[in-house]
Amino acid sequence: MTVVDSLIALIAVIGTLIVAFVVSVWLPGIERKFVQARIQQRIGPPISSPGLMAPIKFFFKQIINPNSPMPGLYNSLPIIGIIISILLLIIVMPQLYFLVAFASVVALVGLLKVEEILYMFMGSLSKSVLSIRMPFPDLVKGAKHRDVPRSFVEELSSMRAFRLIAFGSFPIYIAIFVPVAMAGSIFLNDIVAYQQLHGPVLFTLGGILGAIVFFVGFMILLNEYPFAILKTKADVIEGPLLEYASKYRAYVYISRGLLIFVLSSIFATLFLGLPPTILSWTILINIVVTLAFTIIMAIVSAFSPIFTYKQFYPVVAGVSILGVLAIIASFL
Amino acid sequence: MDEDNKMTDETPKKQVIETEVPLGPVHSAAIEPYRVRLFVEDEIVKDAEITIGVNHRGIERIMEGLPVEKANSLTEKICGICSNIHIWNSVLVAEKALEIDVPERAQYIRIIMAELERLHSHLLYLAHGNEVLGHETFSMRLFYIRETVMELLRMVGGNRVQYGVPVIGGIRPRAELDQMKIQKIEDGINFLEEKLSNFAERFISDPMIMSRITGVGVIKKEDALRLAVSGPTLRATGVAVDLRRDMKEYDPFDFDVITQDDGDIKSNLLMRVLENFESIKIIRQAINHLPEGSITNRSWEMQDTPITKNYVEAPRGKLYHSYALNDGRVRHCIIRTPSITNIGAMEYACIGCHITDAQLAVVQCDPCFTCTDRAIQIIQL
Repeated sequence: MTVVDSLIALIAVIGTLIVAFVVSVWLPGIERKFVQARIQQRIGPPISSPGLMAPIKFFFKQIINPNSPMPGLYNSLPIIGIIISILLLIIVMPQLYFLVAFASVVALVGLLKVEEILYMFMGSLSKSVLSIRMPFPDLVKGAKHRDVPRSFVEELSSMRAFRLIAFGSFPIYIAIFVPVAMAGSIFLNDIVAYQQLHGPVLFTLGGILGAIVFFVGFMILLNEYPFAILKTKADVIEGPLLEYASKYRAYVYISRGLLIFVLSSIFATLFLGLPPTILSWTILINIVVTLAFTIIMAIVSAFSPIFTYKQFYPVVAGVSILGVLAIIASFL
Repeated sequence: MDEDNKMTDETPKKQVIETEVPLGPVHSAAIEPYRVRLFVEDEIVKDAEITIGVNHRGIERIMEGLPVEKANSLTEKICGICSNIHIWNSVLVAEKALEIDVPERAQYIRIIMAELERLHSHLLYLAHGNEVLGHETFSMRLFYIRETVMELLRMVGGNRVQYGVPVIGGIRPRAELDQMKIQKIEDGINFLEEKLSNFAERFISDPMIMSRITGVGVIKKEDALRLAVSGPTLRATGVAVDLRRDMKEYDPFDFDVITQDDGDIKSNLLMRVLENFESIKIIRQAINHLPEGSITNRSWEMQDTPITKNYVEAPRGKLYHSYALNDGRVRHCIIRTPSITNIGAMEYACIGCHITDAQLAVVQCDPCFTCTDRAIQIIQL
């Protein structure tokens, strides 16, 4: 690789990241204003508000240190989330396919796992005032059960994050292996090359089933309704993200928007053979896929109640079985 | 070990609770200031405890010694949702004590207000229930439907929250209904009926919602009676008790007492949907047969009375007001709202639920702790 090639690759990576940031800040607004507000027959927020103006506002808010045993680590977790999203995006960019082991499905899965584990850390490192015991009504006035070990709502969400790592993320990982089964390789350059020769994976039976499974996994990973057991308003409220304030909350917002773009780009790479790069017009396809995922996700969320385990387990099991069928179909 | 302290097979074993999850009094799923302590094992609620007492208004104490008209107006401040039923019941206590006959037209307009308020309360309940369920679209749509009722209440009472319609002997002159207002009420309830039918159809046919609410938070009939549950929450367990059947004001109207059998969250939600149709039926009868004549009986005289009590069917259940009159002023005032008797049911309904369902199990009993929480203790220094 010459110096010029390296420079072009660097420009492509930086340019693609800028495009990703620019697109991702509008996604929450599209989700809430154009889709959910219309469905719910209300005005909704300004389109720039949830993804762009809210983070800007939070950057200028007073920094509040949360009640956490390790506030430094707790506050840095959303930044780590953004770094992981950036790494995921870099992995799928064709300019970095020369890093063979890094540009593989195994690296994707590993980084996505780290993203999931972050929620577990967030939950276990936060203790909000919402779960403080009140001595007078709880103890003095004759409580039913005294001196019971107390759990914070964040701890509850942390335990749920652990369960999600154990079973909730099955669909997305199974779906990721559908193109692998078709291309016969775990390396992204092989998967992209296979689709350039044989057409997109999406237009096969296994691909269609895999895409459905991927979308469900995408919603679970983003903790969106109806799969938002980490952020259930009825009990854990915002769960692991409850105590983030000021610029750290801004990082949480940025991280979520970016993750939507990144996961959509992973889908475009694995199922359409179109990795995100600013050097090709196909980045527009990546943006269209991102918008489509955002809109469909918002519609599904708007028409769903939140799931408890009673609904969550069968859905995950059913979708995972569908994913296995997709892999079997991809061998045929 | 002392022989007497040995645990035998007959000794009841104390329930060992793994973890406590305290929720509230400030919580996104609770629109009221209450606190639920959930005692859980692996996210399943084994026991629950609800504590109130965050709100100290002492409204009964404030009412003591006030002229009865002022005290009646004050009862509206007890609840922001069912303010009309409070003032109506308080006025009924005075009318009962002073043996005042109320003109028939005024009775009808009071009924229209009471049923519009019941619609407003039940729609708020349904919207909040759906919000806790996580279905924001249904919640928003129900708030949109409810807006029609709020506008009708504003039109008749002049306000969206505190209407001040009943006065001793009748209703306020501003609540008199002319032909234009009657037409607007008719249009409003027709619109409401259509929208509610659409909602009910979609709600029942949604498998995800049914999966969340069927067989969850069950209150059995015998337990409901044991826990002294009242109102729609009791009727959802299959007990056909509605105080409107015993109120002479409702005698001219034909309506059914709706009951459900299962006592779960589904039954409670459907209960309110079906009761809304009955309220619409009552309002339609009232506006179609609204009698002509005066709206206020002014031919009564104030006198001292013993403690008089009265019960009415509020949107949430049995509402009790009592006071005595002495020199035109209120004495020994006691008010009991339905939520105080329903607290036991709320705790009971949580047991066996997943934590996410526990808040919904509380909400299914339609708690209104802001109006329940009035107790104050006067310490003489």
